[in-house]
Amino acid sequence: MKSAPSRPPVGEPVVFRRLDDLPPLPVSLAPTLANKTGTWRYLRPFYEEKTSPCNHACPAGSDVVHWIGALRGGDLEGAWRTLTAENPLPGVCGRVCPHPCESRCNRSSSGGAIAIHALERYLADEASMHGWRPTRVRAANGRRVAVVGAGPAGLACAYHLARLGYEVTVHEAEAEPGGLLRYAIPAYRLPRDVLDREVCNIESLGVRFMLGSRLGDNLSLEELRGMDAVFLAPGQGVSRPLGVPGEQAAGVLSGLGFLRRVARGEGLGMGRRVVVVGGGNTAIDAARTAIRMGAQVTVVYRRSAAQMPAIAEEVEAARAEGVEFRFLAAPIEVLVDGDRVRGLRCQSMRLGEPDASGRERPLPVPGAEFDLTADTVIAAVGQGLDEGLLAGTGLRAEAGRVPIDEGAATALPGVFAGGDAATGEGTVAQAIGSGKRAALAIDRWLQTGRVEGLPPLGVAPHAMERSASARVVGPEDLNADYIEQVPRPVLPECPVELRKASFDEVNLGIPPEIAAAEAARCISCGVCIGCDTCYIFCPDVSIARAGPCQYTINYDYCKGCGICVHECPRCAMSVKEEGQ
Amino acid sequence: MRKVLMGNHAVSYAVRLARAEVVAAYPITPQTQIVEMLSEFCAEGSLDATFIKVESEHSAMAACIGAASAGARAFTATSSHGLLLMHEMLHWAAGARLPIVLVNVNRALGPGWNVWTEQTDSLAQRDTGLMQVYCESNQEALDSVLQAFRIAETVRLPVMVVLDAFILSHTEEPVDVPSQEEVDAFLPRYEPEWRLDPADPRAFNMLVPPEHYMELRLLIQKAMDDALHVAAEVDAEYGRRFGRSYGIVEAYRLEDAEIALVTAGASSGTARVVVDELRSQGVPTGLLRLRLFRPFPARAIARLLSRVDKVAVIDRNISFGHGGIFAAELKAALYHEPQRPMVFEFIAGLGGRDITPATVRGIVGYLQGHDQPPASPLWWEVKA
Repeated sequence: MKSAPSRPPVGEPVVFRRLDDLPPLPVSLAPTLANKTGTWRYLRPFYEEKTSPCNHACPAGSDVVHWIGALRGGDLEGAWRTLTAENPLPGVCGRVCPHPCESRCNRSSSGGAIAIHALERYLADEASMHGWRPTRVRAANGRRVAVVGAGPAGLACAYHLARLGYEVTVHEAEAEPGGLLRYAIPAYRLPRDVLDREVCNIESLGVRFMLGSRLGDNLSLEELRGMDAVFLAPGQGVSRPLGVPGEQAAGVLSGLGFLRRVARGEGLGMGRRVVVVGGGNTAIDAARTAIRMGAQVTVVYRRSAAQMPAIAEEVEAARAEGVEFRFLAAPIEVLVDGDRVRGLRCQSMRLGEPDASGRERPLPVPGAEFDLTADTVIAAVGQGLDEGLLAGTGLRAEAGRVPIDEGAATALPGVFAGGDAATGEGTVAQAIGSGKRAALAIDRWLQTGRVEGLPPLGVAPHAMERSASARVVGPEDLNADYIEQVPRPVLPECPVELRKASFDEVNLGIPPEIAAAEAARCISCGVCIGCDTCYIFCPDVSIARAGPCQYTINYDYCKGCGICVHECPRCAMSVKEEGQ
Repeated sequence: MRKVLMGNHAVSYAVRLARAEVVAAYPITPQTQIVEMLSEFCAEGSLDATFIKVESEHSAMAACIGAASAGARAFTATSSHGLLLMHEMLHWAAGARLPIVLVNVNRALGPGWNVWTEQTDSLAQRDTGLMQVYCESNQEALDSVLQAFRIAETVRLPVMVVLDAFILSHTEEPVDVPSQEEVDAFLPRYEPEWRLDPADPRAFNMLVPPEHYMELRLLIQKAMDDALHVAAEVDAEYGRRFGRSYGIVEAYRLEDAEIALVTAGASSGTARVVVDELRSQGVPTGLLRLRLFRPFPARAIARLLSRVDKVAVIDRNISFGHGGIFAAELKAALYHEPQRPMVFEFIAGLGGRDITPATVRGIVGYLQGHDQPPASPLWWEVKA
């Protein structure tokens, strides 16, 4: 074979005068590196991590997409650490959170939303098995913060402050920490050892718990103000009354009161027939709890099934366990026999125009009334802040809440507030987000004297910095060609007949192989997983691997065709006009 | 090591011995077993190759083109309609001067649908720039694949090795499988002079204007001319190393023959038996077996046949509107010879119809009874 023709000097025209001058195939004699095709570009592709819809939807500010990413990579402890960097209560949330993350999941149309809550719970259970403990991110700084209320907001605030080096004392009115997690959510949804374990993790960071320490009773805000800061998260411990005649009769209980007594193991002579009034989670919890205590249970709700604020799966489970529902019915009188309840008179309702909540307003149907027999009536029609707690503190409730700004600050300097008492939001995840917001605000305030950079109320704060842009990835941003239909797994649960007879946990955990498969099913919206699609497709070989999930673009040669951006299955790349 | 192998698996073993680095293929009867076994070799790790599943034969060859452009030893196998679908890419492989080896199992074309042997599929690729080697036995299939890589990489042109559907592809014969060390010594690693390399990027296969295009085509033609010698040399070296060589054309008992049979592929074995039989009866017959069809060994053929009286070309193929493709090529090769035999064209065995000893004896009988060939090819053993 003849040797390769010599390379002409760059810039010299190539002239083939003789057959021997030619290479055997059509090939440029000079390297094409001299041809900087990047100069043709008017669109510039770049790697841009975006916000996944699950991350965006999580009120606790969980970095879902990244901890699922670590789980997918088999790094269970890394996944748990990413998870708990934002949320100290994954075992709790994995069980009781209504998981708004899943409602927004872009997988919904290709097999069903990722079972994020099941994965979260899986990691929490793994952590417990392996004995992983949270660690501080900053050394102890000697400053002291008091937290009032050991519900999810107080626990989250204490946890984040402790991680940041603060000495935190949590004052809790009840005999054990947890707030509504312990005294309202039934054990069949949240076994107590799960809560204990996560409280124990928080204690392991040095947080002290003062139990039986009740604001306005044996504890005053005044004495707490000697600390560097105070966070108030007393929750919404007062049940709203039905507001109908006969409500004072024996056998009429509030939802929270009922659940608290069951949780404490106190006896209840509640009889055989129980009527629960309300359509929220407390009503359903009360109904399912009553079922477990052998009662026949009817839930009375003034609107229709579609408008119930309770978690849909919980309503379904209640129905499966034998709870009956009477929709479009409002209580108008508790019927009594002496001083004891014997029934509930209800007014039939119909739906009218939408009200302020956007739901159709229930209106009475004149003359349509009916009676239900009841040995016990449980009123679960909402709860509120115990405004008595604020007496003498200098704080005043507005519309049933402690007013705060986006830095969680109250009207009193150094006094911050959060949780249901301040936000009225009502879910565990929201309370966790609120407690974290306060922790971050307290830290900033104590470090710099100013509270800046927190998101507006209603947007979850993040303890860890995020590189993602604010743009939320929607289904239209994904490349459907890469997303196969893979069904969501059926999550195991205890059979109805068994669970009706006990407070054992209803929803069971998933095994490691299902967890791995579910993590693999996650599209990782907006976040590069190193799939190499951009690298493979770049027609100019301008994309190079630079490390795990890292690529570089050589703009000397990138023509800006945009194929990488177009092909990226998960919208982890963007394109912009040159010079913009 | 001697093994009992069907022709398809003899090819698979050869490809493994050749240490092919990329195998891209789409299944088609009667070829499928070749790549099926190769995929198993890849899966079990006995062949360190990337096996690319593709959605068509066009893509199979395109993948081989990409692989070979990057300097990999690439292999594919196909048959019949698959080969036809590959046609565009065959021209490309040759024009890009890529030493890809393709095994085609000869199979008739539809409709009517037919999976049995016939040469029209491979001969229809005559002008693509692929070399073509026709095999008579499973042993030759294995040996030819090994030779094909060596020839291809020497002259920088792709090679098609051809074997008959079922008669070779699915029939088991004893095959000597050489050792890996012996094959490594015969077929060293492929180190191309030009290759796709991100570290030294070049423009490949770009626009070539009229002032250079013809020269590039001429270079292909010259490579084909070289290949005639290279193929003969490689075959001779193969003989020295492995004890088997075939020549680019095979002359069997032609020295004093008055009647010569011309065949290619598996029917050559049948013709050989008939030659021996007729010789024992005193009939001076011989056989010329075409092994290399592209480049066409015209001078060797002319030299071997010019002194024969009558030649019967058995074409298991048809160029509609003309005749047998081998016959046409052979007649052209003889045209300048001062003394030319009478060339009789027989179209036989299409679509897998058996070519039996009786068929061949009948053809020889026809030649004995006729001084001149008819004006048009003889369709042999067809219903009247």
